[in-house]
Amino acid sequence: MKIVVCIKQVPATNDAKIDPKTKRIVRKGIKAILNPFDTYAVEEGVQLRDKFEGEVIALSMGPPKAKESLREAISVGVNRAILLSDRAFGGSDTWATSYVLAKAIEKIGDVNLVICGKQAIDGDTAQVGPGIAAHLDWLQATYIMAVEEISSSSIIVKRMHEDGYDICKMSLPAVITVVKDINTPRIPSLKGRLASRKCEIPVWKPDDIGADTSKIGLDGSPTKVVKIQPPPPRHTSTKKIEGSSTECAQALLRELRLRSIV
Amino acid sequence: MIHHIQNKIYHVELLPPKQDSEKLEKDLEIFSNRYLRVMDSGYCAGITDNAMGLLSFQGTEMIEELELPVIPEQVMIHLTTFHTKDDLGNILDICKSKGIRHLLIITGDGSERLPKLQPSDVGATDVESVTSVELLKYINREYPDTFVLGVAFNPYEPEEHEFEKMERKMKAGATFIITQPLIERNEVVDRLLKKYPEIPVIVDAWMSRKLHLLSEAVGYEMPENTEFDPISTLKMLHKLYPECGIYLSLLGFKTQYDLIKDIWV
Amino acid sequence: MIAFTDTEKKEYRNIWVVAEILSGEIQPVTHELTGAARTLADLRKSEVWVVVMGSGIEGKPESLFAYGADVAIVVDNLGLSGFVDETETKIMKRLIVKYKPEVVICGATTRGRALMPRVAVMTNCGLTADCTGLSIDPENGDLLQTRPAFGGNIMATIRCSNHRPQMATVRPRVMKSPEPDPGRTGRIIKEEMLTSDTEKIKQIIDVFHSTETAVNLADAQIIISGGRGMKGPVGFNLLKQFAERVGGAAVGASRAAVDSGWIPYAHQVGQTGQTVQTKVYIACGISGQIQHLVGMQSCDLIIAIDKNPDTPMMQVADIAVVGDLFEIIPEIVREITNL
Repeated sequence: MKIVVCIKQVPATNDAKIDPKTKRIVRKGIKAILNPFDTYAVEEGVQLRDKFEGEVIALSMGPPKAKESLREAISVGVNRAILLSDRAFGGSDTWATSYVLAKAIEKIGDVNLVICGKQAIDGDTAQVGPGIAAHLDWLQATYIMAVEEISSSSIIVKRMHEDGYDICKMSLPAVITVVKDINTPRIPSLKGRLASRKCEIPVWKPDDIGADTSKIGLDGSPTKVVKIQPPPPRHTSTKKIEGSSTECAQALLRELRLRSIV
Repeated sequence: MIHHIQNKIYHVELLPPKQDSEKLEKDLEIFSNRYLRVMDSGYCAGITDNAMGLLSFQGTEMIEELELPVIPEQVMIHLTTFHTKDDLGNILDICKSKGIRHLLIITGDGSERLPKLQPSDVGATDVESVTSVELLKYINREYPDTFVLGVAFNPYEPEEHEFEKMERKMKAGATFIITQPLIERNEVVDRLLKKYPEIPVIVDAWMSRKLHLLSEAVGYEMPENTEFDPISTLKMLHKLYPECGIYLSLLGFKTQYDLIKDIWV
Repeated sequence: MIAFTDTEKKEYRNIWVVAEILSGEIQPVTHELTGAARTLADLRKSEVWVVVMGSGIEGKPESLFAYGADVAIVVDNLGLSGFVDETETKIMKRLIVKYKPEVVICGATTRGRALMPRVAVMTNCGLTADCTGLSIDPENGDLLQTRPAFGGNIMATIRCSNHRPQMATVRPRVMKSPEPDPGRTGRIIKEEMLTSDTEKIKQIIDVFHSTETAVNLADAQIIISGGRGMKGPVGFNLLKQFAERVGGAAVGASRAAVDSGWIPYAHQVGQTGQTVQTKVYIACGISGQIQHLVGMQSCDLIIAIDKNPDTPMMQVADIAVVGDLFEIIPEIVREITNL
């Protein structure tokens, strides 16, 4: 069984400190971390590999620094890792990113299962997982809470929905995206970390994966960000509601209804 | 623990390197050197457990991987509730096998990366979330007569709440107390000492000049430009709390370590 | 990717909404998006079409005309009773090629977020997720899509200038549902699901509906959070009731409450818990220490309920309700029930 886990190194948006004057998040010196949702994907890959003979490979598209996150994956048991890194990949939106990852998966060859985290905490789009499936024309299943059964030819998964869940059986190869309920990611051990530092991580470029240059980077991105601005400023005054409990409840309810919250 | 106080043995806080350290080999070396220095001085090393929720290596892994010598009375391991049941078991087994007896049991700081003990993991049926109380009970049950367990006391949190929690910690088997960092006389700590005269209390002395870091640690606003001399504060704490031990937070190993050997005499 | 010429772009008309069907019922998000699509269509002087794919949906698509739809494309087939991503993608692709919509929007639900990225790749289209704003550029008619990024700390405006249709997903409760106008009429177009649409190698073998959907903090639009002022686990039951009445709300907690064992750590908001950016954060009996504020300061609307008017949380809040939450909350729950 050959499993590929796609991971991304992202800024730790939750680590930010608040500037007391502007009340806005200060984004200097924010650390780069392995996307939290991807730790669940890595854990699932390692657990599935442990149940069967085979290997699990971590794959990432990013700048050279992303090797750190690939090493973290190795430190918890992934067999090997590959980094896709080149100027030409820069500026890719989710369409182009999923294309590049799909080409790399083809190049790795004979892959049975691709596991992605639900979404990346910087983009928050959750589009790359299904995008990879679409580029490969493989089956997909998203929001997976559990892998109930797996063989080299098929998989049974539990998919989360707003109104409950369903059990879905599909043949492999396929792409799944996983949610936090699926497992508890193990913490890298000191032994694992030290061992991961010795691993070679090859860096693949567009030619290595036979990428069509019109489908990568800015050229391969149908969406373009045209403007970035800070969110609307916070209010400066607080509206106070006082009085008897009934009065307060009614006034608060009025505010909630005004804003279509209730 | 009384032994440490009677023999004027400082507790020196040691933080294991963070997992994402960019200079891991160097950090491991620094930790080793500090640990050995503390052992040589006859002090007790207090090794933290993912302090501030920042993913770090475990004290027990550091000791094993770096083959550090364990002098049982001189090592205290902090243990939080942010572990899987398996990891918790491993840590306790390693402590037991190495003769490490002193454990500081705290609820601890979590983060998205850290797992958390579930009530069912520790056989607790009456709570929604595992705190130091449930962990204390669990350890006493699973490892009877093995460990000397201590707990934390936070004088900066609402008093009634904190004392009520302390009662429960005592009932669960805590036998010593370490306070949050103090920089002056603290009335709440005074009350604690009166309430538990038989329990060894260790006062945390903040050894860094950076008081704002203390604000973040205890969630209590210290005035920004307060002049602060850790060494004279330490001397003052000895005078104010002669019956207590001292735990040194953020001790400067280069500038302060050699100064402290003549203070507690 | 080859850019469309202006002539090619002009062939694409109308604003489409992909309907969200759960348990055979059209969901409120579809009404919200139909209303939003109506505004866009009026600016483009074109129509709103809603694509309704499901099973046993006879008579239901008609209800969408009241919300501003002009056309409902209906694909009613037993094979669509469960959610099969690949099948719905094939149908969407076929419909898009046949009818050439200018814009396709869909709810950013678990289904929408599974379907649309697959459709976007297979039709070579740009897709923007979780838009909080949709507007039309008056100069060239492009769809302008606004969305938060970097944990809500920046607002990005995205455009897809060179490809059609332009696609976007929008979370439920972001757009306001229009007042339905029962006098509005529209047309139904019946389309078929083809055997080639089915995936024989994928099947839904079981479906479980839960009446109580546990909303998690990250996905909730509204968080009702409790602190030390809740006094115990019983206080949190009160907040759970409040959350259920409001609907789509999750219960959060401060560290003090979790450390007291009153509520599981999974609910903790703050520096050593989760960071949230919801539309609404209602803080009950939470003093507002900096470690907690860091976790929820980016929420759009902060409401605080507390006996003490001077806590940091009461000062940060947009609306500060001074009073006894053990009286106010049951009262609000009563009032909402009677609405």
